[in-house]
Amino acid sequence: MSFFRVVKAELHKYYVQQFVSYRTAFWFLVLPFGNGLLYYSMYLPFTSTVVQFSWLGHNALVDIVGFTLLGQLLYTFFVGVTLAGSAFDTERVQGTFEAMLLTPASRVAILLGGLVVATAQYLWLIVGIIPVFLFYFHLGIAVADPLALLLSLFLTYTALTALGLCLEAFFIQTRKGILLGTTLQEPVALASGVIVPPSAYPTQIALLTYLIPLTLGLISVRLTLLAGGMLSEVLVPLATLAETIAKANGSLALF
Amino acid sequence: MRTFLRATIGSARISTIIYWRFFNWTGFALRFLSPLLSLSVAWILYNVVYHQSTSTSFKGAANSSDYFSFVVVGSAFFVYVVSTLFTLGRVMYWDRAQGVLETIFLTPSSVLGYISGRMLSAFSMATVDLLVLFGIGYALGFHVTSFNAPVFFASIGLMVASLFGLGLIVNSITLIFRDRVNTANTLTTLILVFSGVVAPLRLMPDWAQRVGAVIPFTYAINLLRASLLSTESGSVNYGDLWYLVGLTSVFLLAGHALLIATVKTVRKQALYSHI
Repeated sequence: MSFFRVVKAELHKYYVQQFVSYRTAFWFLVLPFGNGLLYYSMYLPFTSTVVQFSWLGHNALVDIVGFTLLGQLLYTFFVGVTLAGSAFDTERVQGTFEAMLLTPASRVAILLGGLVVATAQYLWLIVGIIPVFLFYFHLGIAVADPLALLLSLFLTYTALTALGLCLEAFFIQTRKGILLGTTLQEPVALASGVIVPPSAYPTQIALLTYLIPLTLGLISVRLTLLAGGMLSEVLVPLATLAETIAKANGSLALF
Repeated sequence: MRTFLRATIGSARISTIIYWRFFNWTGFALRFLSPLLSLSVAWILYNVVYHQSTSTSFKGAANSSDYFSFVVVGSAFFVYVVSTLFTLGRVMYWDRAQGVLETIFLTPSSVLGYISGRMLSAFSMATVDLLVLFGIGYALGFHVTSFNAPVFFASIGLMVASLFGLGLIVNSITLIFRDRVNTANTLTTLILVFSGVVAPLRLMPDWAQRVGAVIPFTYAINLLRASLLSTESGSVNYGDLWYLVGLTSVFLLAGHALLIATVKTVRKQALYSHI
């Protein structure tokens, strides 16, 4: 069975079942929009409208609108891949999991199909939220190095997808995939710098947060898109993200 | 009246017994993830990122410069909203799923009493959550700077009544549309964002203020904060009290009307089956 036919079939199945549903609209439009506004409003009581964050000696001042928006954009993708990671739980509950594993379809193709779905659902967010923040809240963009920005976006999304593949492979070992996927959300949101910059934490804790690919992705995308960061400034997080992707692919071979 | 009270007490008792029978610590702890996230973010922003430098517009709107205490009060009382939407708002939905809704409707007991009992039980459990959150808040630096008892108790009473009305409305929606989580999730998000739980509504865009103006919880939380956190005398806005009374009446009337209509529809169209 062709690898890509399996991916396509998974995509088609999820498209028919979930793409145009209120559940998808909630997770990929209503909730990120609400959270974006909520966390943006948490900055309003203070005297400054910029956030300072640091990375390996580089300091950047970023407007709270862009800071919040990028946080929500990447965090929603992370939530999407963790929810996709718990998809096998749903198959098990429906009683279709055994049949799925009995087919000659590639397991990695099935996993990848779920991740492609998570990416497709992300379109709700892109279409619904970016224009609002861009035009209504006047998002300030400062790109000095387009290549650095492209690399940051590519490596961040790829690293998060690789993380999603690992989570899918991990969640299958337990019957608590949905619970784990949901439980991960708030701690990761706090630790990774979605809402507050990790540089606000004590150094030892901040170093631990760099183990989360989302933290590195947020640093590199925020620096290159909002603070005019150059490739040399984000080389370390980008190299770490690339390493994460390689490790994730290596670990999948054991699955 | 006696039947109503007996139905209320019986319903509350059964609901509480079932809650404790299936109580688990994991579920209990998970309930605090979202409010703990708000408290943590508020604490970090207030103490670490901005070193307690709140703006004059915040001080004017909140009658206090203590942003962390502001968020503690909002997040702590928000547990009643969550309880309303996820417990009270799905009472009949889950009873139908368990196959007991038809039996309940066959008894001569008051339906309003039965759902009031569930509300009593749900809000009692939410009070435990409230106390835990206040405890965590105290450990992190929450300060009560005043206590205006009449305003505090009037706000609590009106908040509970308005949320009961909202719960009745949501209960009808979830039952008729067979909706397990979408209504509860959406309304929880809307109320969290637009009722000033983490920032004064006055600091938000005009359109957001207009949305917040029709949510009774907005006024309840304003009054609760004024009764607990004010540093100036005369900081209670009695206009909020009248708006809260008005909106509570509207929500209670709408909720009661919808409850009657829903019971009639369920009986006439035999919608007792979960399938």
